Amino acid sequence: METAGFQLIDVLTEGLKGGISSVFGIALIVIPLMIFLEIARDMNLLELISKWTRPLTRWLGVSESSALPLAIGLIFGLAYGAGVIIQSANEGEMDQRSLVLVSIFLACCHAVIEDTLLFIPVGANGWMLLGIRLFVAIFVTVLLSKYVDFDTLKDGEPECE
Amino acid sequence: MVTTDTIRRGLIKGLETVWILSKVIIPVYLVVTILKHTAVLDYIAVVFRPFMQVFGLPGEAAIVLVLGGLINIYAAIGAIMSLALTTKQITILAVMISFAHNLLVETAVSTRVGVSGRLIVGFRIALAMFGGVIINIFF
Repeated sequence: METAGFQLIDVLTEGLKGGISSVFGIALIVIPLMIFLEIARDMNLLELISKWTRPLTRWLGVSESSALPLAIGLIFGLAYGAGVIIQSANEGEMDQRSLVLVSIFLACCHAVIEDTLLFIPVGANGWMLLGIRLFVAIFVTVLLSKYVDFDTLKDGEPECE
Repeated sequence: MVTTDTIRRGLIKGLETVWILSKVIIPVYLVVTILKHTAVLDYIAVVFRPFMQVFGLPGEAAIVLVLGGLINIYAAIGAIMSLALTTKQITILAVMISFAHNLLVETAVSTRVGVSGRLIVGFRIALAMFGGVIINIFF
């Protein structure tokens, strides 16, 4: 019994130590990243970044006005991206098809900088993670965009929700 | 304009994120470490082996996919850290989790835009499996 007791304490210590050191490794990345993202926001780097997402709008076959929601979602995350999409939709800047395609793409692929950096201290290959994630998400959304009629899809769905 | 307030906001957001993730990572790491010393993890490993083999992953890595899918990336990270995995296996899990994580909460966000939740969840899981298989085969 006594050895079992000692073992339990060993296991708990191992678990706590490992958990805390995991958090520490991630804190070293997350804190500077959040500061950087705030600087990027205040420097209006988004205008610049939406220039990079313009080719993406062409590949996905969505309107050019989708460049900004794509840039925001890819960098800052789904909640921000969705917020901008809703705003653009209310202002009539995005057509139905772009709205659905951009939403699906961002649901699968968002906050790519944070997610990639989070997995590096865990032991993943960051470039491969980022590259494959972007490639697969773009490739499959392009296929959807070509072969699925999204204009009818959206109108038909809301009753189910 | 970038001011000291910018830096302060970033620092607070960073600390908040670390606080949120530590509340998830530490308990998950602890629980999986305890499971490792019991028969439960071996049982999970055996049951999920056939499915996980498709992605070149050991059966116990199913825990990572379930925790990531239902809770979030941080929970998945806690589980990955507590298991013994190779760089390739961790990269495969990272890609799969990147596609399909926090599905309950994020699907609620996505449907606010008006897209079908089932469509989005199905699509994300399909992409996760597709991504996992691709890395397993080609790299």
